Amino acid sequence: MICCPLVVLAQSTGNPQNTIYTKAVQLNIGTQGIGAAFNYGFTDKFTARAGINVIPIKANDVFKISGLNSSSHVSANFYNLHLLADYALFNGVDWFRIVGGFAYFIKAKGDVRIIPSDDYQYGDLTLTEEQIGYVDLKVDWKGLAPYLGIGLLRSFPKRKFNVNMDLGTYYLHRPKANIIGTGILSGNSSQTPQFQSNIKDYRWFPIVQVNFNYKF
Amino acid sequence: MLVLAGMACKKPTENIKVVVDTDIIKYTAMITVTDAQTGNAAPANATITVLGENAQHIYELSGKKDIKLVQGMVTIGLHPNIVPSAQSPIRTTVEIAASGYTTQRREIIFTAEKKQQLVPIGISRVGNTQPPIVVPPPPVYQEVSLNFTGRCPNRADVEIRPSVYVSFRKSGSTAPFQYLGYMDKGHISTNLLALNESYDFQIVYGGESYQVSQRIEQSSYQLTIDMNEACNF
Repeated sequence: MICCPLVVLAQSTGNPQNTIYTKAVQLNIGTQGIGAAFNYGFTDKFTARAGINVIPIKANDVFKISGLNSSSHVSANFYNLHLLADYALFNGVDWFRIVGGFAYFIKAKGDVRIIPSDDYQYGDLTLTEEQIGYVDLKVDWKGLAPYLGIGLLRSFPKRKFNVNMDLGTYYLHRPKANIIGTGILSGNSSQTPQFQSNIKDYRWFPIVQVNFNYKF
Repeated sequence: MLVLAGMACKKPTENIKVVVDTDIIKYTAMITVTDAQTGNAAPANATITVLGENAQHIYELSGKKDIKLVQGMVTIGLHPNIVPSAQSPIRTTVEIAASGYTTQRREIIFTAEKKQQLVPIGISRVGNTQPPIVVPPPPVYQEVSLNFTGRCPNRADVEIRPSVYVSFRKSGSTAPFQYLGYMDKGHISTNLLALNESYDFQIVYGGESYQVSQRIEQSSYQLTIDMNEACNF
């Protein structure tokens, strides 16, 4: 899949009459957050894109553990640098493209902090928040990830602006999972192997993205 | 992460248990009350009362104010906010009373250096002037590692990591339980267990005693023990 842009490039350079060298900048928003890219059209069928996307998300109370009344703080931080190639498969059909490439996820972390929300009675003692503690579930997908998808609508504007769309998925690096507890929950680190096993197949990162393009 | 979750079959928290520690009370003393002349456990009607100015700070290991002997055993300790210092140890007195026995008092001192201590108390029948029986120390064998997990019978999603004192005796024996050691966060290493022998292990917690048996044939075991009284949250 990573080789795809190179193969396509080799094919394209053999057909100089289609060379266009169009350039555009792109702002995008979607499931991989917000981002920007530089688009370079080598031919009318083949375009390369290099860009960056970031997701800084924080949310509360979207995560529960069975058997524990708790509040949760979720944060997700995904920063990637990507290089993608768009190839229009059919002559004259410029609204449908195959997209392949890869991204390097500089940061790809999902953290959940679970804090028991009830007053914890230990016999006749009421424990403080510090004595009760919290549980952190951490997952890290940092690394190289191939991408495959389709592009809908034209790669480049006919005039200056256009909008197009990407549908696809990254296949992320195998995640490293970890559980850390504090207070009376410090023993929960023993659950790390089970968590690692549960999370190991969480590698598909679906992309639905809308791109706004400006042609030079 | 939520988007990723939609692409996998297994829930991230599937089969993950909530592990709860019991080491809330840090400075503890295990009191074992026996008949001074026979070495047997104190009679079932034996009571323990905590006296003195620090009595208000003394709790049973499970955090209860209700302190009672179970088979002559109980673990008491200081409220988690009360910490002895080198200059100011915390002193308290326990009084053991049993029908037909002479009431006995014993001072217990909690010091900064010693978080766990064993306090054996022998009580004598009224009028008995015989010297107390001397129980020989148990023989020493190779090191064996025991890892205990506390089970909540009604909560399969919760696991207890007990920090308690452990007693033991050979399975099938009617001899009183002997002190094995302090189990810290579910782990205890001991050299008091013989190979190819079966033992009953007992913990006393929250006014209840819990037991589990194991034959010793290797150097490490994972044992599960019911701990209902640790599951009340």
